[in-house]
Amino acid sequence: MKLLTSILSLFLLAGFLALKSPRHDARLHPYKLEYPSSFGSRFVIPENNSLTEEGVTLGRMLFYEPLLSKTNTISCSSCHQQSLAFSDNRRLSIGVSGKPTRRNSMSLANLLWVKNLFWDGRVSGLEAQAAFPLIHPDEMGQSLEISAKKLSKTRLYPPLFKEVFGTATITGEQITQALSQFERTLISADSPYDRYLEGKYQLSATEKRGLELFMRGPAPERGVRGANCAHCHGGVKLFQEVFHNNGLDSIAVQDKGRQEITGEASDNGRFRVPTLRNIALTAPYMHDGRFATLEEVLDHYNQNMFHPSNLSHELRTATNTEGGKTLGLTAVEKKDLIAFLHLLTDSTFITNPAFANPHPNTKTKPIR
Amino acid sequence: MKILRLKHICFLIGCVLVGNFSVAAQTLSIIGEVKTPLTLSINDLKAMPQTQLKAKDRDGKEHEYGGVRLVDLFQKAGVTLGGELRGENLTKYVIARAADGYEVLFSLAEIDEEFSGCTILLAHTVDGQALPQGIGPFRLVVPDERRPARWIREIKTIEIRFAK
Repeated sequence: MKLLTSILSLFLLAGFLALKSPRHDARLHPYKLEYPSSFGSRFVIPENNSLTEEGVTLGRMLFYEPLLSKTNTISCSSCHQQSLAFSDNRRLSIGVSGKPTRRNSMSLANLLWVKNLFWDGRVSGLEAQAAFPLIHPDEMGQSLEISAKKLSKTRLYPPLFKEVFGTATITGEQITQALSQFERTLISADSPYDRYLEGKYQLSATEKRGLELFMRGPAPERGVRGANCAHCHGGVKLFQEVFHNNGLDSIAVQDKGRQEITGEASDNGRFRVPTLRNIALTAPYMHDGRFATLEEVLDHYNQNMFHPSNLSHELRTATNTEGGKTLGLTAVEKKDLIAFLHLLTDSTFITNPAFANPHPNTKTKPIR
Repeated sequence: MKILRLKHICFLIGCVLVGNFSVAAQTLSIIGEVKTPLTLSINDLKAMPQTQLKAKDRDGKEHEYGGVRLVDLFQKAGVTLGGELRGENLTKYVIARAADGYEVLFSLAEIDEEFSGCTILLAHTVDGQALPQGIGPFRLVVPDERRPARWIREIKTIEIRFAK
């Protein structure tokens, strides 16, 4: 009889756990992602990490949480500042070791639509991405296990993790899951350019000329001038997930870019073609932050490129003069382009209170 | 001036070091809903029946492309074509992916010449020469299309999938 009761209670417990384990109990509120229909839904959210209001809130707290670093001084937001479209203004970032990071901090906007993260596309999915900066000795420098332990010792976090994930103990996986939930909500879709596309913003003369140059490929034989930017940076999201060599070096030696991931020589010096959203805010530019200004970037594409054999095909062939070897934009055309690039600054995104530091009264140290 | 010269020297060194990537090392894979996944080198392709066809590239000029018909490659991989291209197999599609991550899509029916009446070529030569770097070693040529946006350069992977 006693045995029967034990078996029965085991079954009951198993049944309860089975109900409990898909962790979204009814108390959690699904988070509704909002974005223009033109952005499309070509993204995948892992089935075991669907977005909830509670998960996003927790992720936001963790994003601004310096306890996740070895020195308790660095959070994700140290190198991904909202006012700079979640990038920083350094060539290379400084983390817990004080030693510069290898590459320039990337803007975190519209990552919902990005499949393979980092300058070299080395990981698939935000959950896997988040672990890298948390652990890297020159970034936050702390294992996920220690981070989980430190959060467990606070008064703040254990009930929040329990609410979101339904477990009594905090795990490293849960930290990266919550961070990813928050990052998926960082949608930028309200720049003057977006408003122009909706018919709600009137371009100035210089912005209009800039837009035309940005969108068009040059065809000197037909008298068409263009900068051909949209070929790689086009579309309403101003982003396509491709990796190109843009002629920064004759050969990439120190940092081989995508070659380090694929092992293929033809991937030497290929890096992500980044989004141009908020580009006026995310200086300095390129994977190593070598260009301080947009003017320097345009000068690079206009006349300063190296021509390695795997230079992006479009960069190799675009010219505004018949038989020309360089893009050949005039000084006025470059100014027009820069006027257009400033239209991509989304002030709603960088001031959205839902993305700001949620820890009250302090910039870096949350209240416990 | 000095900087310029240094730049040129670097460029020359770069040419020697990067030079021509070994074309033989670059492969094309056919994966997904296939009987036999394939990874083919340029020599594997050259050993198959070759087709030549003329088509206009983005430059508006006609060129002669040489290579293997995609339908032949699909037959080799055991993709459902011909009599098998019916029922649910008509919901299959093909994602062609380039080395830089660029992707384009075809429906499987488009690839089957018996079905669509069109030839799609996996080209490795243009006007008798190997495709240049940045374009080859392999490129799709879709002769009947007015815009060559699906003439995907540096093609690396062809994946056949079911629409679900």
